[in-house]
Amino acid sequence: MTQSRVVITGTGAFSPCGAGADALWRAAKDGVSAAQQVHFDAIADQKVTLAAPIPAQLYDAHADIVRPRMQDRVTGFALIAAAEAVAQAGLSEDDFGDDCGVIVGSGLGGAETIDTNYMRFAAHTYGATAPRLDAMSVPKIMANAAASWISMTWGARGPLYCNSTACSSASQSIGLAYQLVRSGAMTRCITGGTEACIVPGVFRVWELLRVLSPDACRPFSRDRNGMMLGEGAGILIVETLEAARARGAEPLAEIVGYGTTSDAGDLLRPDPVGAAGAVTRALADAGLTPDDIGYVNAHGTATVANDLSETAAMRQVFGGAFDALAVSSTKPVHGHALGAAGALETIITLHSLRAHLAPPSGNFSEIDPAIGFAPVTGAPRGYAQDFALTNSFAFGGINAALILGSATRL
Amino acid sequence: MRNDNQSKETLEKDLLELVAEEGMVDRADLTREAALADLDIASADFIMILMAIEETYGVYISVDNEMSGVTTVQDLLSVASRKILEKSDA
Repeated sequence: MTQSRVVITGTGAFSPCGAGADALWRAAKDGVSAAQQVHFDAIADQKVTLAAPIPAQLYDAHADIVRPRMQDRVTGFALIAAAEAVAQAGLSEDDFGDDCGVIVGSGLGGAETIDTNYMRFAAHTYGATAPRLDAMSVPKIMANAAASWISMTWGARGPLYCNSTACSSASQSIGLAYQLVRSGAMTRCITGGTEACIVPGVFRVWELLRVLSPDACRPFSRDRNGMMLGEGAGILIVETLEAARARGAEPLAEIVGYGTTSDAGDLLRPDPVGAAGAVTRALADAGLTPDDIGYVNAHGTATVANDLSETAAMRQVFGGAFDALAVSSTKPVHGHALGAAGALETIITLHSLRAHLAPPSGNFSEIDPAIGFAPVTGAPRGYAQDFALTNSFAFGGINAALILGSATRL
Repeated sequence: MRNDNQSKETLEKDLLELVAEEGMVDRADLTREAALADLDIASADFIMILMAIEETYGVYISVDNEMSGVTTVQDLLSVASRKILEKSDA
């Protein structure tokens, strides 16, 4: 059976860097961080205040499309990003229907709705007069709410999946969309990830895991001391090259390879073998060798464990080619958006490939002898190759790697 | 000085009990030289130990700051008791 080539024809990002994929790319390229100090009245003794939230004013200014009685912020973010992606792809009513699927992941689903309900529920338990809980809680919280609202908003009646695999949710969603479009199970797909996790209860339990940095997110740097939470949504329109050409759409990039593996080891501690396996599979899927890759958008959370494990994995795959590679983590700019991370980072990788420019890795100060390399720092760095890789690694030991190819090859 | 050493000794004994309980390790196996990995203390147990230290002593110990070089039970006791004594001195 012939397999179709799969291209991206539209992108949308709603992130702490602002509304729009361009705002995200500009912030990444220029190293402008959306980091803020976040204070929650509901947390009695807040230890960490650093995060990259979507400010309420930014959300309110773009929420015309959102129906708050029915939709948590997690769905709102996704709808805003999807509207941008659909518009850029130039899709019209006839392009949705039975041939268009939706695969949009989320790690947590409707976190704000859960949080608000628990607060009210607990208040009642401890003596407040019966508070009214949100009657729409179940459909607002469910992880597939964003995917379902996207399908309803645009009339996409093809296969719908919601992939909830923590920090790999979005990368695996895009990977699955690529596989299903390539195999002919659908012609096009609205895919990506969304997360709206910066709410008091969720922030507090991340604090309990003790992996949040108190001062700055410094991927791969010797003085790194943890990650910075982010949130947002990234949505891509993925379709066969043939379908894109038939409707006169311009491909922005091609998806050429996807690999995913499971560590089957520790729930929280990453395993370089599993991570290397995902990248190796992605390269094999794409029919590429390591020196074909010009840029790697690393998972690079800036936790001690991830950055050590990811570097070991990359060295295992890239061998001698590793030291010449342009590698960066853009998480110091947009934060770690968990279930949306892979989508925001795929969009950055796509823009990187179009400009042949590797964005810098923020806050890097010194090579860690245990890691032994410096990512791209300061100004963006140019590269010649036509392929770029983006990694996502999740709690639960889930590894995902996507490889994009430049549209100029098509 | 002797008092300081005694209080540190008592504190580390208390911490050993806490590590045994939260890490779900038999107290008899919990020697100071033992590697945490050999005791089957997984990443999730480690988080529980640090949370119990926070609840009992009011000190917040980050996995990525203070704990990145910790491999043995004694390493853990040293970091935790230093943080706790720093707090009580302050």
